[in-house]
Order: sequence, then structure tokens, then C-alpha cells
Amino acid sequence: MPKANNLDWTARLVIVAGVGAAIYLIGVPLTMLAFAALRGPADFLPLEPGARWTFENIHALLADPVIYTRILPDTFVFVAGTVALVFCIAFVLAWLVERTDLPARETWFSLILFPLLVPTPVLAIAWILLMGPNAGWFNVAIRALLGLDGQGPINVFSMPGLIVCQALASTPYVFLLLSATLRSMDPSLEEASGASGASPLSTFRRITLPVLLPGLLAPAVLITLITAEQFELPLIIGLPAKVTVFSYRIYFELNPLGSLPNYGAAAALSLPFVAFGITLLMIYNRLIRRAERYVTVTGKAFRQRRLPLRAWRIPALAFTTLYVAVAALCPAAVLLWTSFFGYALPLSATAKDFSLGAYQHLFANRAFWIGLENTLVVATLSALIVTAIGALLGWIITRSRSRWRHLLDFLSVMSVGIPAVIAGLGVMIFYLSLPIGLYGTVWILVVAYSFRFATTTRLARAGFMQIHQELEEASATSGARWLATQRRILIPLMRPVLISGFVLLFIVGVREFTIPLVLFSQDNVVLSVLLWQLFQYGQPAPAAALASLIIAVALPVVIVARRYLTARTIAG
Amino acid sequence: MLRVTGLSKSFAPADGPVRAVDDVSFEIADAQCYALLGPSGCGKTTALRCVAGLEQPEHGRIEIAGRVVSDAAAGIFVPVHERSIGMVFQSYAIWPHLDVFENVAYPLRVQRPRLRKDEIVRRVTEVLTIVGMDALASRPAPRLSGGQQQRVALARAIVRNPSLLLLDEPLSNLDARLREAMRRELAALIKRIGITALFVTHDQVEALSLAERVAVMSNGRIVQEGAPAEVYGDPKDLFVARFLGATNVIGGRVEASAADGKMRIGLDCNGKTLILGGAHRPGDVVDVVLRPENLTLTTESPSDQINAVPGTIVASTFQGNGVEYDVDIGGAMLRVFSPGQPQLAPGASVWIGVPASGNSVFKRKAG
Repeated sequence: MPKANNLDWTARLVIVAGVGAAIYLIGVPLTMLAFAALRGPADFLPLEPGARWTFENIHALLADPVIYTRILPDTFVFVAGTVALVFCIAFVLAWLVERTDLPARETWFSLILFPLLVPTPVLAIAWILLMGPNAGWFNVAIRALLGLDGQGPINVFSMPGLIVCQALASTPYVFLLLSATLRSMDPSLEEASGASGASPLSTFRRITLPVLLPGLLAPAVLITLITAEQFELPLIIGLPAKVTVFSYRIYFELNPLGSLPNYGAAAALSLPFVAFGITLLMIYNRLIRRAERYVTVTGKAFRQRRLPLRAWRIPALAFTTLYVAVAALCPAAVLLWTSFFGYALPLSATAKDFSLGAYQHLFANRAFWIGLENTLVVATLSALIVTAIGALLGWIITRSRSRWRHLLDFLSVMSVGIPAVIAGLGVMIFYLSLPIGLYGTVWILVVAYSFRFATTTRLARAGFMQIHQELEEASATSGARWLATQRRILIPLMRPVLISGFVLLFIVGVREFTIPLVLFSQDNVVLSVLLWQLFQYGQPAPAAALASLIIAVALPVVIVARRYLTARTIAG
Repeated sequence: MLRVTGLSKSFAPADGPVRAVDDVSFEIADAQCYALLGPSGCGKTTALRCVAGLEQPEHGRIEIAGRVVSDAAAGIFVPVHERSIGMVFQSYAIWPHLDVFENVAYPLRVQRPRLRKDEIVRRVTEVLTIVGMDALASRPAPRLSGGQQQRVALARAIVRNPSLLLLDEPLSNLDARLREAMRRELAALIKRIGITALFVTHDQVEALSLAERVAVMSNGRIVQEGAPAEVYGDPKDLFVARFLGATNVIGGRVEASAADGKMRIGLDCNGKTLILGGAHRPGDVVDVVLRPENLTLTTESPSDQINAVPGTIVASTFQGNGVEYDVDIGGAMLRVFSPGQPQLAPGASVWIGVPASGNSVFKRKAG
């Protein structure tokens, strides 16, 4: 593609702004992290008077037996179990929705996305209410049906419980990626196999799977990375289950029971984690390129031929219903019920158990209103910032010859490999060291959220690539200056892309739990954190009321956002 | 041999069901090459896919080499992989995870009982040599050009010696010059291996030059069937004539008709008369269809004024092997292709000569 050679000063300014913002939002916190890992003593901030250069943190990390006996094995089992389970669930769902004549496919598609749209603590609390060993609805029902006594049989507070919950929560991501893969396959590849004399089974084994393989492996790598970064469920469900994964351990170092935050240890622990994440990302990018090469052998949209399910219709519907029931419908129902009836169970509840008290309690709580305002402010502003930066970076990467563009591409992709807990930690150490009073305010959340520009950059890049360079050149030859061309031609053409980027990042911002928890103060509480605190401090009904409200807002978004949620945007 | 009888297939899109193939019957003799020709959406590809077994027809019977593979009335439907066919897809459908050799070997590898390894190598090498791809046997599929993909697709389709070769727009994905070359090659190859072939195309040149018989389709039905020269020379109606490249259609009225099969037709536009072959009755309102390449163009008034129409050149387009003129004959435009002679400028007065035979005259339907 031809690139503009001589950029005027406004264009140069844009490049400088983009480079500056990207480096500031990702580079600085990460550098601080590496810096903090090499400064000690561990409870000192890296720039605090008294801090010095040291390898103590690294030594302490390597010498800690807990790392080897607990954290690595727990993390491994958690990640491996979740990835295996989520992949099976998501593949079957994607296959059914994209390639078979499953009835009501559109509805299933929307319902399957539900967990993607509500903050994870909402789901965690619902699953605790459903699968808690004592009063969990599922357990009460199973015990009643089988005539059992005591606890269980399901215990959500266990490694298997944690894995099942995480798999349910992560299914929509993988489902979106896999359905895009399935959709992109040229059906004539399979038809050609049939016309060559191969049976349907043989076609599936010899053609469908191998052709799809890179497109299946790439989501597998990505979900491995995303699972390893998970913090919400390991905290809310894993902690009572005594499962300690990497990300939780980092948080624990910052909030140890009854002692000072151990910045050095947390930073040291983060470094191998970030290295692991970036390695996986590089593998992912390589696989994606291979998958795209496979697709572009013919490269166009296809009308997929759907496999008639016939007798398999019933099991297929049962499987889909089971997932949707456990991941979406039952959680929504149990939360709504609990918000009105507390712990009273549906069959034994009477009219006098009904109460609006939880909502009154919630609305009387000042933290709710602060949290609501903070959530909206932070989600809106960070989504705006990230969309703008994504557009800048996308422009620089596709349209300029700036030598910065490879670095920017790398930085933006890297943001996927940085776990939220580490992003929060980097921001925390940086702003605690910087005397500008940002720490503890809502603004630090805006800054901290805004490192995730992989998604918007990827979106903007794809958008710019679709806009032919000649459209801009035609504007220039009509006498428009660079800025006028951007404003009159490029931005209007890019508007759908920019809007979908904003909507996605807004949802991500509303769901965010880890960063505001790491950076928590009384002033910058957001709804997801408030929800967890209410539940944690023994107020399940107001927590359920808050969760119900969040779901009530999220549900219409499901329908509106569906078309924006294409796999490319999630894949980053 | 392929025999298709009373084939019908509908689709049900959101805006109401569409009968894509409507009571289509045809027969292909052994080692014959047969083309279904028609504009996009005429149902030709659906008919082909029914023959392949990729679509299940609602009505009709399909017989491949004497075996009934589909008979809606008898409830017979042999799935695609159990039919003795080879198919070349429009997109070529070369499997990206296999190299050239493995793509071509695939139909043999899935064959049961299993073939011996050296037998597979022998047969694949043989067909790769036939299509001229033997030197590229180990090349990965994503690194093939369009023409190479087409050869691989063809080799794959014939490697297991099927009874019937199906080709879905086999040349449409190639650029113009390559298409020309591949068309000749494909024609020679089909002849050489002597396979029964059915192919589908929207390109009249392709159909007329490749096939021994052509069926022109429109709205799911076969409008006319015959040898290429027959269909070209004697189109059955205006649709077929236009589809086969007859661009000039002018209205007229039969003034007299003689026993020797000649008619005098008065043209509506300028009142001139033409003597043309045909058997319509005096008074019939007709459309006269003239091919640009059948008309002659002169600058001097011809001595024989029969079938000579005066006009003025409006536009001329140099085409290398000749010039195409748009000529105003007073109230109507005629396109005339004139080989050789120096290009005339717009505004020049010319005479157009219309031959008495080789044109078509269709009676205009009422309404």
C-alpha cells in the first residue's frame, strides 16, 4: 500500500501524541514494575528514601517453597482444567450454532454471550448461591430428589468447582472466536471431499479438522493466557477453596494479613508472569497469521451449509439449554429471587418472606451512588481514551511510514498479555511514587483501565485497511489539508468502527473488578467492587439486588451489542 | 452417461420460496461434453449440485452411468460421496493444509478397499503429468496461482476415473488471458480422457467452444438445447438470441411472405424494408435480431439497394481486429462490427448491408 511520504506538522503531532500515550499508559507502569522488582527492602516503594538496588526480591521469590508446592501446581491445574473444559463446551456450542440446523440459533447466540456482559462477581455470587455446599439451590434440589442429608453433593468451593465456574464464565470468548473460525471456512472444501468419495465422518477428520486447526489452536492459546490472568473467580471462589493461583498471590502480597504491602515481592512475582503472557501472545499471533493464510486461499463470505441434526436434535438442545441455564438463566433467577426473598428457598417461601428491603438498603447506601457514578465515569472516559488511542495507533500502523509503528504495534498487542492485577500493580507503584495526588481518586482508575488498547487498535487497523488510500488522496488532490481530510473523509468513514470499539470497551470498563480492587479507596469504589464487598460482609440480599440491577441494565445491551461482538474485536 | 428427468428444486429464502430448478430434463451421452448455459440465478448451478448430490431435489430422477442416484418419487438419494463423480468447484476448493500431491491423492486415499501406496503414487503422478503439474507436486496449496489451482482441481476430479465430471464455472476465477488458454487446454483434455462431462457457465463463448451440446437455461428451465452451432445459428427466442450475443433488436412488421421462406419486413423506425428468411405471416409484428458481425458497412451507396440501410455513424470503438460502430439508422441504433478497414469518424454517412439469412426474426408476443 502506498504511504504518505511528506506529512505536515499536524500529522507529525498526531504520531507523537499516539506514541506518547501508548508509552505512557503501558510502558511506564511496566517499567516501574521491573524497577520495583529490583529495589528493596520489599515493603518500600522503589523511589522512597531508603530504597536501594537489590536482588533480594528475586531471591526471596525463588527461595519460597510455596511457589513450588502450591502456586505453580494450583495455577497449572486451574488453567489446564479450565482450558480443556471451556474448549469442549465452546466448540460444541459454536458447532451447533454455526454449522447445524439447531432451532432458534439467534436466540442461543445472544444467551450464550450473557456471561461476557456482566461483571464476573455477579456470576460468582450467583454460582455460590446455586452451588454452595449447604444452601445452594442445586444442592438442596439434588438432596431432596435423592433423599440425601447433610452437605453437597456439589461444592463450588473446590478446585473442580472453581474450574467449572471459570469455564462457564469464559465460554463466550472462546465461543465467539470459534464461531468466527467455523464461519470463515469455505464449504466447498468439504463438498469437494464428499465429491471425492469421502464419507461425512472421513471428511470431518481429514478436511474439516485439519483446515480448522490453526483457527482452533489460536483461541486455545488465547484462552490459556486469559485463564492464567483470571483473578475474580480465584479470589471469590478460589480463596475459600484454598486454591492459590499466581494472580491471587500477587494481590495477596499487596494486601497481606496484618502486615505492610510487599511491593517488591509482588513486582518480582509479576515479571515471570508477564514474560509467560508475552510468549503465549507471540505464539498466538503466529497461529493467527497461519489461520488467515488458510482462509485466504479463497477468502470470501460463504453461505454455510448446515448439517441436519435429525435424531441428535434433542441431545443438542439439551446441551445448549444446560449451558444457558447454568451460565445465564439460573444465575439471573437466583439473584433476582434472593434480592426479594433473601435466603428463603423458592418452594418453602411464603408471602411474608417477600421484601423490598434489600433495594431500600441499597439505595440508602451512599457507596451505591458513588459507585454508580464512578462506574459510569470510569467506563465512559477510559473507553473514549482507549478508542481514541486505538484509532491513532491504527492510523500510524497502517498509514504512516513512522519508524515507531512496529513498536506501537507490539505495545498494543502486548496489552493483552498483561493481567489486570499486574496492570493495577504497575499503576499503583507508579502513582504512589509520583506526588501528584492521583492515587486513591477515580482518575487513577481511568488511567489504569486505559492500557487495554489492543482491541481498539486491532479494530481501527482493520477499519483503516478497508478504506482505500485513494479516498484520502482524492481529498488531498481536491485541496484538503491533512487535518481536513481526516475530519471530513476518514473519521466519518471510520465511525462504525469507532463506535463498536467504544461500546466494547465500555462493557469491559463496567465489568472491570480487579483493577479497582487493587487500587481501591473509599472514594473510587465502583459497582463491581461494592457488590463483592456487600456479599463478603454478609449482606447477600443487597448484593443480589445490586447484581439484579446490573443484569437488568446488561440484558438490553446483549441485544444491541451482539453485532459488535465479532471475534476479531475480542481477539485483540 | 447422465440422464436427468423432471428435476425440480426450490429454496425458501425470507421473501418467499423460489423454484431454482423447474422440471429440467436432459441426457448426456457417454464421453460427451455438455454445458448448462445461462445468466446468474437461472438455476444451472443448483441443477449441477443436484447431480453431484450436494443438494437433494424435490422431484425428478437422476441416473449416472446407468445407476439411479436420485429418485424423489422412489425415495432414493445416494449421498454425494457414494456417487461416481469428480467435481471442479468454482473456487477450486483446494485444501490449504495439503500439498499438490496430497490434494490429488485424496480421492484415492479415502477409497475403500484401500489402494496400495505405489498404486496411488502411480495414478497421481499420471494425472499430474496430464495437467502439467508433475513438477509442482510438493508445493503447498496456499502457494498456488489461480491457473495452477485449476489444474490441481481438475486432476483431483479425474484421478479416480469417475463416470461423470462436473465443472462449476471452471474458468470464471481466472483472468481473461489465462481463461482463453485454459479453455483450449480443458477442451483438449476432456476429449483426450474421453470422460462424460457436465459443466455450468454463464459465458457463451466458453459453452459454445467447449461443449458438444448446450442447454440454455432461464428461470430454472431449459429454454433451448442443441449443438452449439444450432443454438447459435437458430435461437429459439429473443432471450436465447440476446444471451448468445445478438445485440441488435429492431421492431418491424411483416408486409409479405413468400413460399420460398422469404419475408418482406418493414422496419418501424425508418420505414425501410428488409428481405429476410422466415415464415411469419403478413401483418405479424416481429423483432428482427441482427448480429453485429453479420452486418457489413460501406461508405458508398451499394448498387443493389435490397437490404441496404443508410445511416450515420454516432460512435466508433477501435478493437484491434476491427472497429465497432454505433450507427443511427433513423430512430434506431445498430451496432456493426467491421473488420479491417480504416476507422471512420462519427458523422460519416454509411450503408449497412443486411444478409438475407443468418438472422432471426421472432414474432412479438401479444402484450
